Amino acid sequence: MFKNEEMEVNLGPQHPSTHGVLRVKLRLDGETITHCRPMIGYLHRGVEKICENQTFFQGQVWTDRMDYCSAVANNLGWAEANEKLFGITVPRRAQYIRTMLNEFNRLASHLIWLATHALDIGAMTVFLYAFREREDILDMNEAFCGSRLTTTAFRIGGLREDLPPGFEKLVTKFLAKFPSCLEEYENLLSENRIWKKRTVGVAKLSAEDAIALGVTGPVLRAAGVPYDIRKAFPYAAYAEMDFEVPTKTEADTYARYLVRMEEMRQSARIIQQCMDGMPEGPVMAKLPKILRAEVNEVYHATEAPKGEIGYYLVGEKGSGNPYRFHVRAPGFINLQALPKMAEGGLIADIVAAIGTLDIVLGEIDR
Amino acid sequence: MPIPTLSQSIVITLIQCLLVVVFVFVVVPLTVFAERKVLGYLQQRLGSTRVASGHVGITGWMNRGMWKWGRIPVLSYWRGIPGLVADILKLILKEDVIPAKADKFVFFIAPALSMVSAVVVFAAVSFVPGVFFTFPKWFPFVGGLPVSGGIADINVGLLWILGVASVGVYGIVLAGWASNSKYPLLGGLRSAAQMVSYEVPLAISLLAPVVLSASLNFAEMSERMAVGLPFWGLVPQVLGFLIYLTCGFAETNRLPFDMPEAENELVAGFHTEYSGMKFGFFYLAEYINMTVVAALAAGFFLGGPWLLPFGLQGLLNPYLPGFLSWFGEPHAIFFAVKIIFILFTYIWVRGTIPRYRYDQVMSVAWKYLIPMALVNLLLAALVRCFAV
Repeated sequence: MFKNEEMEVNLGPQHPSTHGVLRVKLRLDGETITHCRPMIGYLHRGVEKICENQTFFQGQVWTDRMDYCSAVANNLGWAEANEKLFGITVPRRAQYIRTMLNEFNRLASHLIWLATHALDIGAMTVFLYAFREREDILDMNEAFCGSRLTTTAFRIGGLREDLPPGFEKLVTKFLAKFPSCLEEYENLLSENRIWKKRTVGVAKLSAEDAIALGVTGPVLRAAGVPYDIRKAFPYAAYAEMDFEVPTKTEADTYARYLVRMEEMRQSARIIQQCMDGMPEGPVMAKLPKILRAEVNEVYHATEAPKGEIGYYLVGEKGSGNPYRFHVRAPGFINLQALPKMAEGGLIADIVAAIGTLDIVLGEIDR
Repeated sequence: MPIPTLSQSIVITLIQCLLVVVFVFVVVPLTVFAERKVLGYLQQRLGSTRVASGHVGITGWMNRGMWKWGRIPVLSYWRGIPGLVADILKLILKEDVIPAKADKFVFFIAPALSMVSAVVVFAAVSFVPGVFFTFPKWFPFVGGLPVSGGIADINVGLLWILGVASVGVYGIVLAGWASNSKYPLLGGLRSAAQMVSYEVPLAISLLAPVVLSASLNFAEMSERMAVGLPFWGLVPQVLGFLIYLTCGFAETNRLPFDMPEAENELVAGFHTEYSGMKFGFFYLAEYINMTVVAALAAGFFLGGPWLLPFGLQGLLNPYLPGFLSWFGEPHAIFFAVKIIFILFTYIWVRGTIPRYRYDQVMSVAWKYLIPMALVNLLLAALVRCFAV
């Protein structure tokens, strides 16, 4: 009758805090996690294979559907990878607009992260506050390209259209109120004893482990490694921007929270600089109607909100579509760190760990 | 005063029960509604404004025309009220699923245990000391008889309240066990540990009013705390009040202590497998328990049915005009207002702070609340010795 057994529990794929359809196989000793394996693939659509059967122009639409919370960042990576493949130079104004929209997208993605992470830990008001600001960003997306979530914002070679009239006013209005909004979230969380109890020292991932597992993005920076592709290998207009890469050394959930909050401030700074220094000129390079590749391969990495998103493209001579396409999705690789973070913790900690990794299953399963 | 016959006193008791049940079943749905609206306004949204079914069916009929209320300042707040009726209809009409491997008898009895223990507690709660109202002479059958402010005037009222309330834990534990499913089991285990732990500081914090008022009877305690002490019982017992309220949050499984049903960890905790009105019973029991906790807090620490703290009352009474003189008397309305204020606090806290982790919940109880409650009890004893 009194057997000392471990209990196996499936966390997901239908569970309120697995951010979609992640399934985690847990073995529990009471409430302590002794074994944790993430199971993925419930949202697999074969994006990479589909893109191989589409033209280079069409492929971008699929990148929207990977990490749907940061579609613009995905678009930017795809467009730049193709431009690298075909040797296209993008006009400077287009670079600036891309940078600005990419940073807006970083804000939107981080706001979603903050919202869901806080909700997972039980602070439900922050969820709605963060969505309020995200709404403004989506409105700007809508003003720029007509859609809010799956934007397909850019084109290979630049932009389809220039900024709409009145866009500047939207940006100024947003930037004026955003710092006070950030303060509002921090008032609710940063010094909250319960929030700190739930996050400080929880789901630690040391710098060595993070590097060994290939983890990138805020999770890596919170472990003290100042690796940000925007600084390390500047793309778009980031070389001309003045911003800092926030790092922390505690490598726990709270440090990741602080890093992402600071990143939001820096993003707002970059947007301001883009607005101030916006050059005049065309937004689209001269391109042929159909892009035909040479035998060539290219890997282009950009800093998506969740980490390094890399596009690996292989061209085939005379073909209008990629011969091989592969995405290095940050969520997919960051998720590998979950067992390391969660094992030995309590069942409530795995919820914090999933939240702090900031995963989107659309990108992990592709 | 005429002495009631047996049949008359039975009728009077039934009327008292009816009054209390009406109070509970008015306050509870309104708390559910207030939770939606207050939480909504805290979070810069509107809360519930309609029954989500368009214009068809029963709910559609209730919904019709409600949107027009949106233009009227005060009524616009109440547009979501039909949603409550729709909720109850849904709970009653929904298929009642019993899992194949569940322990059917225990599965069935658990929500009833929760619900009954929550409601029965109210028997010992006295809304107003002495007579609530007297039937006029012309009234048939019970004319001239008084109706007292509580159902049962038990001399060990507090003991009854604590005893019956702790039976409610069985409802939750048994629900978690009988579902024969993993998340409910975890939820049930959590609640067993949590609620048993929190009953200790809760009881100790309530011992302080017992010491101060030298009684276990709800009405007497409430009166002596409110009238016998300066500024209700709150001033000498502010620590006790805070401890009591914290434990009350934990006992009713509300944020930040909603371990047994922590949505983001255990899906729905102990009631994951429940549906229909069985789930409805748990849901109602939670809100009734909230009302009980609020009633005890209002009765012992916030002056019960007395409006003004002792001292102020005497100063103010001569200036109150005749029709306002009942402000000086204890009245059930003041008691209800205080209960509602504490219910609001519940929602307020829920909208503000995150959830503790399970082990932290336990450490809060054992490491902080119990020692503090003991110190508070000592404090009350000292006040009792030297001041009162």
